[in-house]
Amino acid sequence: MPTAHSIQSIRFLTDFSESVLAYPIVLSIHLTCIALFGGMILMTNLRLLGLNFMGLTITEMVGSLRLWKRVGAITMIGTGLLLATSEAEKYAPNPIFWTKMVILGLIGVHALIFRPTVYDRTEELDRSPVIPTKVKVAAILSLVLWTAMFSMGRLIAYWD
Amino acid sequence: MLLQNAIGDALNNSEWTFALVECVHIGGFAVGIGSIALVDFRMLNLGLRHETTARILKYTELWTLIALAFVVFSGAALFLSQTEIYLVNLIFPYKMYALVAALIYNFTVHRRVATMENPPPVLSKLVAIVSLLLWVSVVFGGIFTGFLV
Repeated sequence: MPTAHSIQSIRFLTDFSESVLAYPIVLSIHLTCIALFGGMILMTNLRLLGLNFMGLTITEMVGSLRLWKRVGAITMIGTGLLLATSEAEKYAPNPIFWTKMVILGLIGVHALIFRPTVYDRTEELDRSPVIPTKVKVAAILSLVLWTAMFSMGRLIAYWD
Repeated sequence: MLLQNAIGDALNNSEWTFALVECVHIGGFAVGIGSIALVDFRMLNLGLRHETTARILKYTELWTLIALAFVVFSGAALFLSQTEIYLVNLIFPYKMYALVAALIYNFTVHRRVATMENPPPVLSKLVAIVSLLLWVSVVFGGIFTGFLV
C-alpha cells in the first residue's frame, strides 16, 4: 500500500500517532462528539417518529439543534480523518473501515435525499395532521445508519 | 466469582461477543450522555428555547435511565471479563471516580436545578457546564484506560 504508507509518513501524522497523549486525546474528542451529538440525532429522530418531545414542534427540534449537529459532524469527521490518516497503512486493508466509509457515504446520500423533502420542510410537517411516512422512513434510516456507523467504528479494531 | 467466571468465559471465548458488548457500551453512553447533554444545552440556552428545562428533562429522563443502565451493565461485563487488567490500570480508578461523581451529580444537583421553576441563569449555566465536564471526563477516562496501561 504505497499510498497509505506515504500518507501516514507525513511528518505531522507520524508525530501524532507516536505521541502518548495526542492520539488518545483526539480519539476521546471523537467519542465525546458521538455522545453529545449522537444523543441529539436520536432525540430529533424520535420527534420525527412522533415518539417523544411531542410538546415541541418539529421545526424547533430540527432547527434549534441544527447548528450543534453541524459542529459535531465537522469535529467528528476532522478527528476521524486525523485518526485514520495517522495509521493509514493499518486502515487501508481493513474491510470494516471501508464499510464504515460506505456508511458515511450513505449518510451523505440520506442528507441529499431527505434534506429538501423532510428537514427543510419542517413548518409544513408541523401543519400536517399526521406525520407522513417519508418522514418516518427518514428517521428510521438515520437511526440505522448512525448505529451502524458507531458500531463499525468500534469493530475496526477487531479486524486483523 | 462464579458470575465473574461465567461472564469472563462468555466474553473471552468469542472476540466478537466482547466487541458487541463494547458496541452496546458505546451506544448506551451516546444515548445516556447525549440525553443529559440536551438538558445541559437547554440550561445553557443553546437550543430548544421554546420549552422549559424541566420539560426537556421530563422528555429525556427515561431514555437517560435506560441507557445508563445499559452502560453500567455492559461496563460491568467488560470489567468482569478482564478484571486483572483493569485492576492494575492506572487510569481506570479515575474513570470510576468520575463516573460515580457524574451519576450522583446528575440525580441530585443537576436534577434539582433542572426542575426549579425560575433558577438564577448563572446557577443553571454553572450546573450545566459542570455536568458536561463530568460526563466528558468519563469518556476521556474510558479511552485513556485503553491507552495508558
